[in-house]
Amino acid sequence: MLVTLLLTPLIAAALMALVRPRAWLEFIHALAAVGGLAVGLIVAVRVWRGDVPAAIGGLLRADGLSALMVVVITLLGAIAALYGLGYIRAEYDDTHLTRVRSFFGLFHLFLFTMLLAVTTDNLGIMWVAIEGTTLATAFLVNLHNTPRSLEAAYKYLILSSVGIALAFIGTALLYYAGASRAGEIAVNWTSLRAAASSLNPQVVRLAFAFILVGYGTKAGLAPMHTWLPDAHSEAPAPISALMSGVLLNVGLYALMRFKTIADIAVGANFAGPWFVGIGLLSLAVAAVFLVRQRNYKRMLAYSSVEHVGIICMGLGFGGYWGVLGALLHVINHALSKSLLFLLSGNILLKYQTTDIRRVRGLLRASPLTAGAFLTGILALIGLPPFGLFMSEFLIFRAGLESGPVWVVVLGITLLVVVFAGMLSSVNQMLYGAPFEKVEHGDVLRWSLAPIVVNFTLLLVLGLTLPHAVTEALEAALRVLGVTHA
Amino acid sequence: MFTILFPRLVTLLSFAMLGTAFLLIVRRDLAGQVRIFAMQSVVLAILAAAVAAFTKSVELTSVALVLVLLKVFIIPRVLNRAVMKIGLQRAALPYLGTPATLVVCGGLVVIAFYVMAPVAASNPLPTAEAIPIAFAGVLIGFFVMVNRRRALTQILGFLMLENSIFLLALLATYGVPFIVEMGVFLDVLVAVLIMEVFIYRIKENFDSIEVDRLGRLKG
Repeated sequence: MLVTLLLTPLIAAALMALVRPRAWLEFIHALAAVGGLAVGLIVAVRVWRGDVPAAIGGLLRADGLSALMVVVITLLGAIAALYGLGYIRAEYDDTHLTRVRSFFGLFHLFLFTMLLAVTTDNLGIMWVAIEGTTLATAFLVNLHNTPRSLEAAYKYLILSSVGIALAFIGTALLYYAGASRAGEIAVNWTSLRAAASSLNPQVVRLAFAFILVGYGTKAGLAPMHTWLPDAHSEAPAPISALMSGVLLNVGLYALMRFKTIADIAVGANFAGPWFVGIGLLSLAVAAVFLVRQRNYKRMLAYSSVEHVGIICMGLGFGGYWGVLGALLHVINHALSKSLLFLLSGNILLKYQTTDIRRVRGLLRASPLTAGAFLTGILALIGLPPFGLFMSEFLIFRAGLESGPVWVVVLGITLLVVVFAGMLSSVNQMLYGAPFEKVEHGDVLRWSLAPIVVNFTLLLVLGLTLPHAVTEALEAALRVLGVTHA
Repeated sequence: MFTILFPRLVTLLSFAMLGTAFLLIVRRDLAGQVRIFAMQSVVLAILAAAVAAFTKSVELTSVALVLVLLKVFIIPRVLNRAVMKIGLQRAALPYLGTPATLVVCGGLVVIAFYVMAPVAASNPLPTAEAIPIAFAGVLIGFFVMVNRRRALTQILGFLMLENSIFLLALLATYGVPFIVEMGVFLDVLVAVLIMEVFIYRIKENFDSIEVDRLGRLKG
């Protein structure tokens, strides 16, 4: 089943290069995305029933944490793919078939690399796959081939590649720590975790520093976040949705895995404070740029830096509720951010600009988009009854229990700043009279249908915590070595 | 005999790699820089082959062969094609002049020895002594990327950094598993090909390959 999960997007990407007519390209695209979701859910359900599927001699392995990530990737992959059908049709007519083809092909290659990263047990292959995500998306960021998108893509490629090169040093050092202490050891996460208590703490500390900077770059943590606002704002909307909503989580996923090993090898008090500190810094940097943001796509991108920071703080506070809140926040942020980026595609098609000052009267011009955008923003800044309120509450409550109080106070103050900054930006877009040249009506009405799923799930997670979700989260918590107090 | 000489040979070759890194800093023309990178890759391949002979590892021998193919032939050819196409043979425009750069890189070597001392000390392998040298190569690769304005030189800095990381893994663990190494090679090749396309596009869009011109995205 794991092999099928990985082959679905890979075969789809290969077919895109072979098939000629546009209708076929679109058909394969939709089929592969929805089929991938089905396979992903089957894999996840098997894991939640207590099975640990493995394939290719243990190279591929899915545990509770993998299952959670697989569901997030395939679900949001399918939603972005379905929106992408309409979006790409609106952007490129049949004279630009090469670009349409490369969009669809790279889209599935991107999904493949992310899925490989979260389902492999081999930390080296995970590294290769995460570097692969950068390579698959570099051309997607530069799909429009404008000077701005070119700059964004070049910066993204160079900074991410260099950052992740550091993570490779960390991985190699950890592999050596394992090999020298525990005899012959594979570079597998499971065997490293089993041998973690006998690893040389000094080497693990050094390795962890490299890994935190390396995968932290990929996760968009400050101060390594500088590529993020550029890349996320220049990419086409469906890709922005996946990069912000899903790809950052893959970087976080790698950090969670290594933190688990470091916690055992060095002691629980080592990695936690680093996570809290770097999370708080990300939150502060994002708040500064969100106060007077003039570009709505960059606004959403900086908000991703903010939320990744919050998740990191949750992981750093630790304990059952802190980590549970962090995982829940991963899901909530993925759901809300991807829907907002998809809507930003609608606004861009309508107004042909990403400048907030040149978007006026969105409520009157396209009421459906505007309503959904406003609701999404309210969910994103953490208002009840949406899921982000719950997860942020859990994280800061865990902070009060474990950490110094000033960290929590500072964190909440920064959240209030973000709240005010984003609301005032969105208000500028929503009200007033639309410009003369803007026609009335929503673009891509039906392409927006999939985001109903996002809203429904956000509401469900905000109002209740269904038993199935708790079970799934607890399966992931067990992998991270966290148990109920 | 070989057992006694082996650690010295490894250290010597590692120093040779570091030497080529310093040559890249001094060298100004792009074609010459590409040749230096190819030279460094040859030294690295010899080192990998020596370790392979010492450990009698078939996997590592094949890794060394792929390394020669990729980093001595394919990648330098791709880069040379780019140099020809953009027709730029002039100076590589560093921010800092050569003397200052050499001082900084000397400092980086000292830092590398300081940071990697615990790793080298706790490692039982005979190759461990050279680990700080490999890390010095990583730091210098970084510095080249930051200090040079030309996109192509940045790519060379990245490749040198990659070479040094390979060396580090080789010294610390006798190389990572075969399948991982092949994956890394694939990533590096694809990355270089993408960077090549970006160089052409930057040249078309900005009529220059100076990264300085890329400064429109702010805030």
